[in-house]
Amino acid sequence: MIIDSNKIQKVIDDSPQDKKQLIMILQNIQQEFHYLPKESIGLVSEYLGMPQSTVYSAATFYKSFSLVPRGENIIKVCKGTACHIKGADLIIDQLDAGIGIKPGQTTKDMKYTIEVVNCVGACAMAPVMIVNDKYFGEVKCNRATKLAKTG
Amino acid sequence: MKIDSITKLDKWRKEILTKQKTIKTKVLICLGPGCLAGGSDLILKEFQTLLKKKKIKDISVESVKKTGCHGFCARGPLVIIEPLGIFYSKVKKMHVKDIIEKTLQKGEIIEKLLYKDPNTEKIYKEWRKIPFYARQQKIALRNVGQIDPDEITDYIANGGYAALAKILKSMKPDDVIEQVSKSGLRGRGGAGFSTGRKWATCAKAEENPHYVLCNGDEGDPGAFMDRCIMEGDPHTVLEGMIICAYAVGSQEGYIYVREEYPLAVVNLQKAIDDARKYGLLGDNILGTDLCFDLKISKGGGAFVCGESSALMRSVAGEIGEPRAKYVRSVLKGLHDKPTVLNNVETFANIPVIIEKGADWFSAIGTKKSTGTKAFSLAGKIKNTGLIEVPMGIKLKEIIYDIGGGINDNREFKAVQTGGPSGGCLPADKLDLEVDFDTLADNGSMMGSGGMVVMDDRTCMVDVSRYFLNFLVEESCGKCVPCREGLFQLHKLNEKICEGKGTEDDLKLMENLSETIISGSLCGLGQSGPNPFLSTIMYFRDEYEAHVNKQECPGGVCKNLITYRINDDCNGCMACLSVCAAGAIKGKKKEQHIIDEVKCDRCGACFAVCNINAIDII
Amino acid sequence: MVKLQINGKTVEAREGEMLLAVIQRMGIDVPTQCHHEAIEPTGNCRLCMVEITKKNWDGWKKSVTSCLYPVEEGLIVETHNDKLFEIRKTILDLQLARSPHSDYVTKMAAEYGLEKSSYPAEPQGDDCIMCYACTRICDVLGKSAIAPTMRGHEKIIAGPFGEAPPDCIGCLSCAHICPTDHIKWNDKGNTRKIWDKKFKLIKCKKCGKKTITREFADYLIEKRELPSEYFDTCDVCKRKETAEKMGELVIKAREATI
Repeated sequence: MIIDSNKIQKVIDDSPQDKKQLIMILQNIQQEFHYLPKESIGLVSEYLGMPQSTVYSAATFYKSFSLVPRGENIIKVCKGTACHIKGADLIIDQLDAGIGIKPGQTTKDMKYTIEVVNCVGACAMAPVMIVNDKYFGEVKCNRATKLAKTG
Repeated sequence: MKIDSITKLDKWRKEILTKQKTIKTKVLICLGPGCLAGGSDLILKEFQTLLKKKKIKDISVESVKKTGCHGFCARGPLVIIEPLGIFYSKVKKMHVKDIIEKTLQKGEIIEKLLYKDPNTEKIYKEWRKIPFYARQQKIALRNVGQIDPDEITDYIANGGYAALAKILKSMKPDDVIEQVSKSGLRGRGGAGFSTGRKWATCAKAEENPHYVLCNGDEGDPGAFMDRCIMEGDPHTVLEGMIICAYAVGSQEGYIYVREEYPLAVVNLQKAIDDARKYGLLGDNILGTDLCFDLKISKGGGAFVCGESSALMRSVAGEIGEPRAKYVRSVLKGLHDKPTVLNNVETFANIPVIIEKGADWFSAIGTKKSTGTKAFSLAGKIKNTGLIEVPMGIKLKEIIYDIGGGINDNREFKAVQTGGPSGGCLPADKLDLEVDFDTLADNGSMMGSGGMVVMDDRTCMVDVSRYFLNFLVEESCGKCVPCREGLFQLHKLNEKICEGKGTEDDLKLMENLSETIISGSLCGLGQSGPNPFLSTIMYFRDEYEAHVNKQECPGGVCKNLITYRINDDCNGCMACLSVCAAGAIKGKKKEQHIIDEVKCDRCGACFAVCNINAIDII
Repeated sequence: MVKLQINGKTVEAREGEMLLAVIQRMGIDVPTQCHHEAIEPTGNCRLCMVEITKKNWDGWKKSVTSCLYPVEEGLIVETHNDKLFEIRKTILDLQLARSPHSDYVTKMAAEYGLEKSSYPAEPQGDDCIMCYACTRICDVLGKSAIAPTMRGHEKIIAGPFGEAPPDCIGCLSCAHICPTDHIKWNDKGNTRKIWDKKFKLIKCKKCGKKTITREFADYLIEKRELPSEYFDTCDVCKRKETAEKMGELVIKAREATI
């Protein structure tokens, strides 16, 4: 995937030029491109006048950032305590069988990315799955793949 | 319109109330996380579309209100019709037309949408009478599920910002701190430190500026109270923080919200914008000398950022590695300046304490744990949802009276409180009174308020493994005991789950736990072994079964179980179609069989079988 | 001055001083790994933990890292007991699993009677003990070319994307401060290699000896406002040059008096 660095620069320029806002700026970039393109580390470091290693360190410390491109559809499986004891693993297994990827992976055609998230705070509806920001509660494992594909 | 005096605020409140009185019937649609997952946004839209077309006396589009979490998530999506309190549960879009035509137009009740208590078969018309709600007392959650979080007018109509007006009119900062101290309020984030004492220390600190921080990084898996407050009643968090700012002399504050809660960020931002617009935030609040402004700081997905020093580093744009706190953060916090850091629920209690007084508040709950506590009920319990109860209530009252007991009437095994820092309490602890000290004395902790109920089909060794895995992933990796210690503890736990553990491993785990607790730098490591220690304390027999007999009594650990189809099988083929390993054979309407060699023990067949035709042995 | 008691002896210390400094001054041997005088303490290794109490604490004791705990009036400190021994031993036991081939770790562990770790050796283990000495010294120098990346058990010290750090100037401070010699570097011909980055070494114009990297020299010239030709000659030649100049001056002065 080729990302125009001017586009990244545009997002950066719209953010406050303040070292304290590092995480926010990275979030803004991720929001736009669904991941942090490699160039963004250098561009942010230049903009904020901080070492690249510091920017990269933050980008790898926080789990919400991805340094590799993610698929068109993001499928998140909640692994909170309630979801765990109500069978979140079954959903992960079924998605692996149905879509052919494990959590953290993206399909070759860049259509799907599966991620495991630590509790999304919808525990009462466990197990929970989120397809492109839409929540699905009490997910039966045999419906997981269908939900992931149709949303 | 700037509200630049207390008189104007009172006048505005009266105007809002007069206007609201013209709307006689209110239809509240819960848009909490649970109901939303059930499609309550579609229900809201349907109401709005249909009511635009219809002319009904006293009812208009304005009668329909979206609210935050009403609490009874298990029955969601919920539609509540006030003032009668008619409680419709499991509502679907197709029911909306009926509700309008029957209930709103003719005053008829739709019986099939009412709640029927599965234990007593009793049908309830009004939500307040349902046992789930009847035992609760709401302070922090008083507005959640009752008001539209986007409307500052709703908050003001319900008495919002009156506490702020009260302190600005008649209380000195010290008086505020005295009230908060006297109320006995303790931090709702888990540690239970006295809020009043924290404020007093910060107020006295000579260095300037002072900061007010709100911890909305509800990272404990199984907890969603703070989410519901931030989403459902954001202004109460703001008001609590402004009162705190007045008390400790601060002009700048931050709300740290975890990134997994996008709606909380949106609703809080709207509340901040509105409060600023009306002069309740910013310079000269309500025309007084008080100047205070707030910003939202979004987390990046790191559980450790719930730890105070890590949170402050994260707000400052750094990586969330905790620092040793031999100088307390209340004196050297954000940017090394005096800082009050309280949790969302703590701030939500403040306006009520100010308004009703410390004595009123401290009369609720127990002597050392005053007031109420919000809990999220989840796991294998019938009435999952969001509750608030007086401190000192017994565990069994929460689980059986409010929670309605265990799913499928199975056997209760344990309740997990306090998240990854907490522990699991067994059945013989159900008589415990829920307060900070009692839970801690019994090997668990209050934590932020997540309660996950487990039944006899939960394996406690697996639960321990689950939490250790969580902590290994979430450890920042700075200090050795946490980074290496939890990693090895998890490995050993995994070994036991696989049936390869020995008694020596258990001993090694117990010894290692001691060093992790006393050697780790921050709270994450210092409490990290708790889930293991509490499960081995109360469920040692389960560990021993894994170690000595290679058995998993809960029927969870894959290496130690076998799935077998029994004679009840009707050949529906559900299990066959879900088996990814291709281990199930059988023809339609004939009993199926599982090839034990091919079977990878994923358990999908067991989960989809509706007639209990699969046994775990 | 602050008065406190360490292992039963009353000692005086400056206000703001850390316990570890006082303990070391007394000649008491408390193990440390991440501590170094040149950099701020961070408390990563936890080996310097001691137990503290006060007369009015009713016998309650607290374990703290002495490198980070400032002295306090009336503090009663214990540096060695069974509990502290266990903590130190377990920490080294864990490190032994992570870095089984490190001489540094094996030697320290041997002092606690550990020959082999109680835990299975980690397949991805290396000699890095994550003491952050390298990143802290790099921060002190003002470059921060390397940093802790990732988190938890996967944490490593590296440049961005694990590639050659763009801000590295090849000064070798990190390699010199590393207690386990984990940071590898070499000088071959005119080239220095560290962190997968290659640098040109400056040759002394006089003697031809290789000194520091061009990048390091430029950085120092800028930061310390040195003359741009400052690093053209090596220290030895510079001293010689100064000595010669001084000699000439002395001769001139002598000639003048005659």
